Amino acid sequence: MKLYEKTASELSEMLRRKKCSALEIYEDVSNRIKSVEDKVGAYITLSDETARKKAIEVDEALAKGEELHPLAGIPIGIKDNISTKGIRTSCASKMLENYIPPFNATVVEKINNADMVVTGKLNMDEFAMGSSTETSYMKKTRNPHDLDRVPGGSSGGSAAAVAAGEAILTLGSDTGGSIRQPAALCGVVGFKPTYGSVSRYGLIAFASSLDQIGPIGKSVKDIAMLQDIISGYDKMDATSKNMEYPKLTDNLTVNAKGLKIGILKEYFGEGVDDSVKESVYKVVKLFEENGAEIKEISIPSANFAMSTYYIISSAEASSNLARFDGVKYGYRAKEYDSLIDMYENTRSEGFGDEVKRRIMLGTFVLSSGFYDAYYKKAKIMQKRISSEFDNVFKDIDIIISPTVVSTAFKIGENIDNPVKMYYNDAFTVTANIGGLPAISLPCAKDEKNLPIGLQLIGKKFSEQTLLNAAYTYENLCGGFNVHSQIL
Amino acid sequence: MKDYEIVVGLEVHAELNTDSKIFCDCKNVFGLEVNTQICPICMGMPGTLPTLNEKVVEYAIKMGHALNCKINSVCKQDRKNYFYPDLPKAYQISQAEVPICEHGYLDIFVDGEERRIGITRIHIEEDAGKLLHDDSFAGSLVDLNRSGVPLIEIVSEPDLRSTEEVKAYLETIKSILQYLNISDCKMQEGSIRCDVNISVRKKGSTEFGTRCEMKNINSFSAAVRGIEYEAKRQIDLIESGGVVEQETRRWDDVKGMSFTMRTKENANDYRYFPEPDLLTIVIDEDKIKSLKAELPELPNKKMARYIKDFGLSQMDATLIVENIDKCKLFDECTALNLCVPKNISNWILGDISKYMNETGKSILDTPLTAKRLCEMISSVEKGVISNSAAKRVMQIVIDEDKEPQQIIEELGLVQNSDVGFLENLAREVLAKNEKSVNDYKNGKTNAMGYLIGQCMKESKGKANPGMIKEIVIKLLEE
Amino acid sequence: MSIDIKKIAKLSMLKIEDEKIEKFEKDMEAIIDMVDSLPSIDGELNLDPDNVMALRKDFAVQNKYTRNELLQNAPEVQAGCLVVPKTVE
Ligand SMILES: [Mg+2]
Ligand SMILES: [Zn+2]
Repeated sequence: MKLYEKTASELSEMLRRKKCSALEIYEDVSNRIKSVEDKVGAYITLSDETARKKAIEVDEALAKGEELHPLAGIPIGIKDNISTKGIRTSCASKMLENYIPPFNATVVEKINNADMVVTGKLNMDEFAMGSSTETSYMKKTRNPHDLDRVPGGSSGGSAAAVAAGEAILTLGSDTGGSIRQPAALCGVVGFKPTYGSVSRYGLIAFASSLDQIGPIGKSVKDIAMLQDIISGYDKMDATSKNMEYPKLTDNLTVNAKGLKIGILKEYFGEGVDDSVKESVYKVVKLFEENGAEIKEISIPSANFAMSTYYIISSAEASSNLARFDGVKYGYRAKEYDSLIDMYENTRSEGFGDEVKRRIMLGTFVLSSGFYDAYYKKAKIMQKRISSEFDNVFKDIDIIISPTVVSTAFKIGENIDNPVKMYYNDAFTVTANIGGLPAISLPCAKDEKNLPIGLQLIGKKFSEQTLLNAAYTYENLCGGFNVHSQIL
Repeated sequence: MKDYEIVVGLEVHAELNTDSKIFCDCKNVFGLEVNTQICPICMGMPGTLPTLNEKVVEYAIKMGHALNCKINSVCKQDRKNYFYPDLPKAYQISQAEVPICEHGYLDIFVDGEERRIGITRIHIEEDAGKLLHDDSFAGSLVDLNRSGVPLIEIVSEPDLRSTEEVKAYLETIKSILQYLNISDCKMQEGSIRCDVNISVRKKGSTEFGTRCEMKNINSFSAAVRGIEYEAKRQIDLIESGGVVEQETRRWDDVKGMSFTMRTKENANDYRYFPEPDLLTIVIDEDKIKSLKAELPELPNKKMARYIKDFGLSQMDATLIVENIDKCKLFDECTALNLCVPKNISNWILGDISKYMNETGKSILDTPLTAKRLCEMISSVEKGVISNSAAKRVMQIVIDEDKEPQQIIEELGLVQNSDVGFLENLAREVLAKNEKSVNDYKNGKTNAMGYLIGQCMKESKGKANPGMIKEIVIKLLEE
Repeated sequence: MSIDIKKIAKLSMLKIEDEKIEKFEKDMEAIIDMVDSLPSIDGELNLDPDNVMALRKDFAVQNKYTRNELLQNAPEVQAGCLVVPKTVE
């Protein structure tokens, strides 16, 4: 019995029916890691000892008849920019190669409290800057569906681990598409919650106003279960929203009838692969056949979202990453002859080229004389885009679009062309700009057998509506088969 | 020098005496072992986030009210980006565009005249850590205990025209902070510091000269020295045909000189932008009003009242107001309405100040309550005891925690003011000292002092000195 | 748009090796050209009073962490302090 191929909700059932133990689940996943990790390279750090201990604790508690969280005993991998007390958190950077946080991110505390089994820390683009996980200083991660191709990024390790069976669930972070784009490229489910619904405390910041932690998994129900654990108000995060967070899992329903779906026409234009367009249209049709109302909509400023995103995210990043100066933690250059020299050498040696590019772009757009022309303009555009979204959501429930313009590209193919690389995020950045919840679902495979993803976007804090739509599609299409067939 | 006037604007940074730091719940205390009052947040660890201390907002609003500012009930915080080892995040969370308070003023007294100084703004921000240097060590050491201590920065308009005004402004700001009990204002602990913007211009000119900013000023007296030095430097430069360059200078109080820190060309580019980790600060209008209602009478207002209502000199009023304890005692005493305010002021600025200086104690921590002090002063006013007896009484009240009345009785300090008794006494003394009486009548007026002295001696010091003097004069003139 | 990459690098506390300057310059200019497509739109960066922040009560918690725990990641520590090259401003 391949336990690692099961969904979290299936395993949860099995655990409670004593069909297997938490330790057996963990060992199955652990053996899977041993057998495929060489090829996939999803993990930066494994936490085998603590994971095993936790699994045994869960088994003991269940044996005693204790009431545990439904996801207790389920193996979960965590992106390496989420702080884990006592476990190295590197952000896939030389800068933090040996950094061990003295505290847990709020989401990690919540996962621990739910007794999930943390398998380890997952690879990513350095400081979450990238769309292919190629900017990682630590290692290469390969797409489990084609090992010559990228898994997407920046949460490439998180998406690849799920597709390869190296974790049942994972956590990623999404600043401009970093959960959804790799989920699409690896053929798994990736969810970016509404900004403010999951605490960012302990998430090593890339762009504070856009970053959001979210779940990656094999089914919508699994996503809902994990989201129920990690969401909620956190007084440690001033941007977290203080409100009721009803349990999404309890209210998942299949119902296409009357669902008002908007087709975002700007996202079906030139530059999108035909196979991607066709696949998403098929899904639209499926929804329609089952009673959904389809409407073409327009976000006129959507085409400016990319520029807006790169200005705002880089500006915030340039400031957020200034603290890496070789004084308090992290890498320090070996040679220097003054304070400034130490700063410059430390940062030049500790950061990779993509991170340097973003820091410099951000420094430039904030620098005196350019602030108004770039940063301020982008913030005003952000507002306009948000209000255009507010407007369309008056008439519809969710928006449908492709997640990415194409399927996974070859490793090395775009690495020397940052602008081309940036277009990977073209359809995902809008949700971050608007603070909206969005999910990527596997919807087909192209002629090379590479996964194609579709994206559903909801209005702020409409997680339930969005996940219900996703759940409806999952049921209508007969479920997702996320696992790689080649490993 | 005489042809010029100085134009000064001040930026005063005051540490607030909250319980916890501005963005984390570390203790806000001074002087503990290095790096023991820190946490991941105030040491800028990756992934940490700030949460704003509500008291900091309240204290800033109180100061805003005290300085007659408009309170911005909706405001925000911004990042000021620069690299320095004492700034762990490499940015300071401050306020740039919209400060919490702006457009205020402060009335100060200089040479008995009231002067109104404009307050540009008051904003909230975090303090940085400290760099420690030791000659025995090749590097510098960083202590982050102070990192995240809350500050308000009070920025004045360039309205100050002399070092006297600067001093009065700084002293007034300091006493207001103390009256509001929002800052300890301990200069030696760096809890209040200032930066000075200064330019000079020919008297009568309405245009501003090029200004220099002077940093690293750690006391009010240093501010005065720094301004005097800098004014002279700028005037000398202009007089010798040079031009003042806009720059940031560092004041070295030991050398008594300022040095260029940064010229205009390599000025810092702080790349301010809105702090994305914090949302908008929205303060309830009712809250703003109630904070205003809670304000105590402020020292500059008190001063005006002391001068006007109690007839105190500006000097005396200043001296009382400057010290919050003396002021409290004075207010309590005047409220009792048992004696003349001027006499209370004399006692407070005389013997009580002397006691406080000598012992380092506050008078409020002694058994000399306002009521006891007033009873004692009133006894002097009524002629019951002499001034010198009162000094004894005061010391005993403090040392033994007794009522003045009891001490006066126990020690028999009551003066003899009985006219008949005093006349008899004077006649006896005059009779015994015929020579002195004759001396007096021959124009040696100092003989009278001797006679009065003899009367006091005979009465063992109990004769009312004023009355006995009158009686002796009357008898001598007979 | 041309960019003074050396100046921006300096402001960012980065050193760019000579042989990489050209590539960085080219990439940065391409990125700037992309983001330059933003049209000029009217508007102000107004405060957002609907997005109100909850404030923290002023309450101090002591000794949550030991000094050693907090300094364990520091590159150089002496006498309980972080060490940097001699710095006097
Ligand atoms: Mg300041
Ligand atoms: Zn702290």
